[in-house]
Amino acid sequence: MTTTRRDLTRRHGRRRSVAALVVAGLAAAALLTGQAAGGSAQAASSDTTTLTVNADTQMTTFNPFLSYYDGELNVIGTIYPSLTMLNDQGEPVPYLADSWTTSPDKLTWTFKIHPGLKWSDGQPLTAADAAWTFNLIMHNATAATSNGSLVANFKSVTAPDATTLVIKTKQPQANMLYLSVPISGIPIVPEHVWKSHVSGLKNYRNMDFPVVGYGPFVLTGFKTNQYAEMTANKSFFLGAPHFDKVVTNYYSNSDAAAAALTSGELDQIDGLTPAQYNAISKKSGIQTYQTQSNGWSAIEINSGAKTRSGKPLGTGNPILKDIRVRQAIALGINRQELVTKVLDGNGVVGAGYLPPGYPQFFWKPSASESLDYNPARAKQMLDAAGYKMGPNGVRVAPDGKPLEFRLGIHSDDATDAAIAPYVKEWMSAIGIKLDVNSMSFDQLNNNLAKGDWDMLMDGWSTGPDPTYLLSIQTCGTLPDDNGQNGNTDAFFCNKSYDRLYSQQQTQFNAGQRAATIAKMQKILYAGNGDLILFYKNGLDALRTDSVTDYLQGAKAANGFYPLQHGFTSWWKAEPPAGAATAGQKASQQSSNAFKWIGLAVLVVVLIGVAVMFLRRRTAAERE
Amino acid sequence: MSVGVQLDAPAVSGPEEAPERSEFWVYLARKVGAAIVSFVMLLVVGFVIFSLIPSDPVSALTRGRPTSDAQMNHLRAQLGLDKPLWERFLTFVGHTVTGNLGYSYEYHQSVSSLIADRLWPTLLLMGTSTLISIWLGMWLGIRAGWNPGSVLDRSASAVSLALWSVPTFWLGLILLVVFGSGSVGGIPAIFPAGGLQTQGTAGGLAPSHILDVGWHLVLPCLTLVAVIFAQYVTIMRSSIIDERGNPYLLTARAKGLRDEVVRRRHAVPNALLPSVTVIFLQVGGMIGGAITVEVVYSWPGLGYLTFTALRIPDLQLLEGTFIVFSAAVIICNLIADLLYRALDPRVRRQ
Amino acid sequence: MSATDQSRPPQPPQQRQPAGAGPGADIEEKAPSRLVPVWRFTVAVLRMPSGLFGVLVMLGFVVLALACPLFIHPSDLSVTQATGPLLASPRHGYLLGTDPAGRSVLTLVLWGSRTSLAIGVMATALTMVLGATIGLLAGHFQGHVGRLLMHVTDWFIALPSLPLAIALAAVLGQGAASITIAIGVTSWTGTARLVRAQTLAVEARPFIERARALGATDTQLITRQVLPNVMPLILVSSTLTVASAILSEATLTFLGLGDPTSVSWGSLLNNAFMQGAVTAGAWWYLVPPGIAILVIVLGFTLVGRAVEHVLNARVQPR
Repeated sequence: MTTTRRDLTRRHGRRRSVAALVVAGLAAAALLTGQAAGGSAQAASSDTTTLTVNADTQMTTFNPFLSYYDGELNVIGTIYPSLTMLNDQGEPVPYLADSWTTSPDKLTWTFKIHPGLKWSDGQPLTAADAAWTFNLIMHNATAATSNGSLVANFKSVTAPDATTLVIKTKQPQANMLYLSVPISGIPIVPEHVWKSHVSGLKNYRNMDFPVVGYGPFVLTGFKTNQYAEMTANKSFFLGAPHFDKVVTNYYSNSDAAAAALTSGELDQIDGLTPAQYNAISKKSGIQTYQTQSNGWSAIEINSGAKTRSGKPLGTGNPILKDIRVRQAIALGINRQELVTKVLDGNGVVGAGYLPPGYPQFFWKPSASESLDYNPARAKQMLDAAGYKMGPNGVRVAPDGKPLEFRLGIHSDDATDAAIAPYVKEWMSAIGIKLDVNSMSFDQLNNNLAKGDWDMLMDGWSTGPDPTYLLSIQTCGTLPDDNGQNGNTDAFFCNKSYDRLYSQQQTQFNAGQRAATIAKMQKILYAGNGDLILFYKNGLDALRTDSVTDYLQGAKAANGFYPLQHGFTSWWKAEPPAGAATAGQKASQQSSNAFKWIGLAVLVVVLIGVAVMFLRRRTAAERE
Repeated sequence: MSVGVQLDAPAVSGPEEAPERSEFWVYLARKVGAAIVSFVMLLVVGFVIFSLIPSDPVSALTRGRPTSDAQMNHLRAQLGLDKPLWERFLTFVGHTVTGNLGYSYEYHQSVSSLIADRLWPTLLLMGTSTLISIWLGMWLGIRAGWNPGSVLDRSASAVSLALWSVPTFWLGLILLVVFGSGSVGGIPAIFPAGGLQTQGTAGGLAPSHILDVGWHLVLPCLTLVAVIFAQYVTIMRSSIIDERGNPYLLTARAKGLRDEVVRRRHAVPNALLPSVTVIFLQVGGMIGGAITVEVVYSWPGLGYLTFTALRIPDLQLLEGTFIVFSAAVIICNLIADLLYRALDPRVRRQ
Repeated sequence: MSATDQSRPPQPPQQRQPAGAGPGADIEEKAPSRLVPVWRFTVAVLRMPSGLFGVLVMLGFVVLALACPLFIHPSDLSVTQATGPLLASPRHGYLLGTDPAGRSVLTLVLWGSRTSLAIGVMATALTMVLGATIGLLAGHFQGHVGRLLMHVTDWFIALPSLPLAIALAAVLGQGAASITIAIGVTSWTGTARLVRAQTLAVEARPFIERARALGATDTQLITRQVLPNVMPLILVSSTLTVASAILSEATLTFLGLGDPTSVSWGSLLNNAFMQGAVTAGAWWYLVPPGIAILVIVLGFTLVGRAVEHVLNARVQPR
């Protein structure tokens, strides 16, 4: 078989098009991936100051009734107002509500709404908008998705005039001032905009830009999996923000985010791993800082899962009903070493149920109550309780059953996986065998609800008001006899705890309420159902050359900052004066330089390839 | 399967005077029929895998929220979980064929729209890598095959073999830590640590944006090329070796043509044929590589979507990506079959 | 698996059906002399430099994996008893640095060979059982059953294996068992084809005809006559499968489908990636597990190729 000249020319044509296709492909992709990008390009070119931070999670919806992820909630809390907000100490202070009063029976709250405010589209912002928002959440199951539990105790919400909002509750509600705060509370939306979205609320993602709202910033742009862009509301009645824009960038992996901070693409970043934190703290122009924890990581023990009426549930190992075994497990765990090694020292050793991020509620056991690491005592206790050492290093109960338990961990959580081998080894040292099962979030939760577990790792974080976190330890959250409708954390149920829980709900004096909550934590600690391992600090960093005044509140004695909230930080942050911004520009220029070098290399290669082909063709034609 | 067999018969026993054209249509119908059967089997397998899941999808949907029994039952009815299995299967087939792949409660979006969003980055990554691999693989393969046993041939084989044995994701990690982290051996972070573009930049066809995407594409593309180009080397090398023995090359040489010219003008065009179809047969293998590369570089494509769906796990989304990946492979295999026939007169005559 | 697909150069369409003349045509007619060709065959493989190198690597790793407990004490792997600095670069006493718990990376990589090899071998065994059964049946029962089985096999070959394995592992849950099953289910097709071709070749021989005439049942024919003749080929072809199974194990574990508490190469890389080793520049935590995978996969692949080469060389002259 011989080839013809036609074949040959076609071959040239095809091969040349390889290079052309690469370029065309890049161009097409650029078009496709960037088509929805807004006007943020102008931000870079003009004098506009932009604060760029990383979004804690992906952003999928800005519908405040459905939103679930922190990345969205931070934005929603900034673009919609709420009744109150939190100061540096975590106490509620006026926001939309200038002042408030309660009736003598403590069942009626009257808020005075700040007069003369206007939504970003010019319509008046009144108490009626707030009443409409609360009523929607109270009466529409879909609207209750995110925040339904916060209004469960509401009887009625009305707006007798534009500046008065009246909330009547079924029972006295001590945490009323925490219910509508930015980020963790209920945002108030404009009735005239949202009225038409009620019917299709479930699928409404609230992405008609600019989004009509009120706050220090207005949401003006969003690109799925990339960023949300907010523009300053210079007439914000509590003081204009200093940056012209805030952009929250989403990085699906924290290494990419860390690199973006180093290169100057980001001004601030949350949620670093210890290894990243240490690496970044060595770089210049960057300040790393730790914030107090708002949550804990714990090992939960199934102390006998049962339904509300007391019917046993699931396959939990009955040996764990013995509190002496649970105490021995607690004594066998070296929490300090977990902090030192798993967290690289960046955390606080666990004990009480509420995290140190809220100092008013932080509780520690006394020396006599404390079950700190003491394997010798753990062994002693187990010996005394009749759990004799078996032949293979696993103790056996008096009835011959081995002390062998399942430990469920989250497959998507690197910290769980890091902790598990430590706990397994410590337990083995006191004669308890653990089988570590790695499960998806769903599977773990399913097993938990059905009582099909012995021990599992769990973590919770809480907003400034601990009511919800405390509620999941009450008897009322146990499932019904069909095993449904439970919302319990670990099947804990204690009558005195429940009494104190109801009591703190009605205690309007902060000090008294904190004292009651301390007693509740004492009961929980003694119950040994939740072994709080540690409170993990927030590991964050910011660029000192491009932002100042970002951090709110003073550093504590242990070197940790109080909890930070996106809303306040973004509002109060300032661009540094004069020369300092050059640093950012320089770093951007250097990264641009890399790009241009890359482009130059690409162009040279393409030209080389083209020349090669051309030369060949002429050579071929010379034959 | 029976479709293929039945269609086979007329092709064989057809009248001799049947024009080539009608034979082609029979061939086409047979291949398309086989592809449709494959797709139906895919649906069966997908349905079996994802309805075998022990956990209750409804409790997964409503996790973390107080939900009453009535609500749960309502949701079950809404999802059709109370219907008999065959009816659910038919509904599933109907939905899938019409492009309805379900709803992701994690993303508050339909699975099809999520997949449509993520399709382009994956096509960009796979397309660019394939083009570069073909070019590189052929360039090396032709030269290696022309002089088997030469230094170039041996080193090409050795490099190909070593790159074969490397896990794709590990190669990606190493490139990332060396060129993207700025923390090893004083090498600055020349390339970005992940993503498709610098966040917050303008889109569109602005040169700076194209440049930016290209800059982000370098490391993932390099990783994928390193792993897949070896296949093109192998294919090209062996077809060139096959062609080398053919008498027509002797003729060409006898005409006094230079060795390089004989190779380029006579051997290569004929040897190219198998490689063209291989591109499409490759897609299945490439998808595996693309998933891990997208994970390492957080490239916002279908592979990364699969990975995030797996970690939650968002089963509807996982099912959607599984079906899309598999359907893509079935279609590409069909294209390969048709292309091969269209390109090679020898196959046509068979 | 990506690995599976990558390690098999795809064939152009007209060659997709393997020729009936399988590589085992050299196997003697009489059953008793079966061991002799196996020995000759082994010698031929070892004479090739790449084959010898591969076999040495393979044996080296197997011996290492088996001998690990002799020089690695459980306390070396213990996180609670680790005494090293946390995530530190190579230094005296820690040749390859340490992990975030202060354990020696060298020790972990050595120990990881046990898990990786074990899963690789078990998945291969499963692959062989599945592939051989389907191949034998497809080869023996020609006609509708055989055709149907081969169509199913072809269909499975076309499926992208990593998404299928991910789907399976997501359904079966995390852990070594589900990874093993996922690998087995996605990689048996090659073996099935090979075995079918060999079965066809064996069944064409006169001694099968004799046995059939003497009234042997299908079961007897398959187990007594065909299987023993196909067996050497199955074992030999498994070396390539082990290579891709090890790669697949690493990939699936890296994606988070493995047992997070066991030490394997995949889980080391998963931990490193998840705990920010990239930003920390902890190359000593990333490089060694990958090199280990590279070397062992290379070893198995070289052996597999040498075996193929020897088989082909013996078939072609006829």
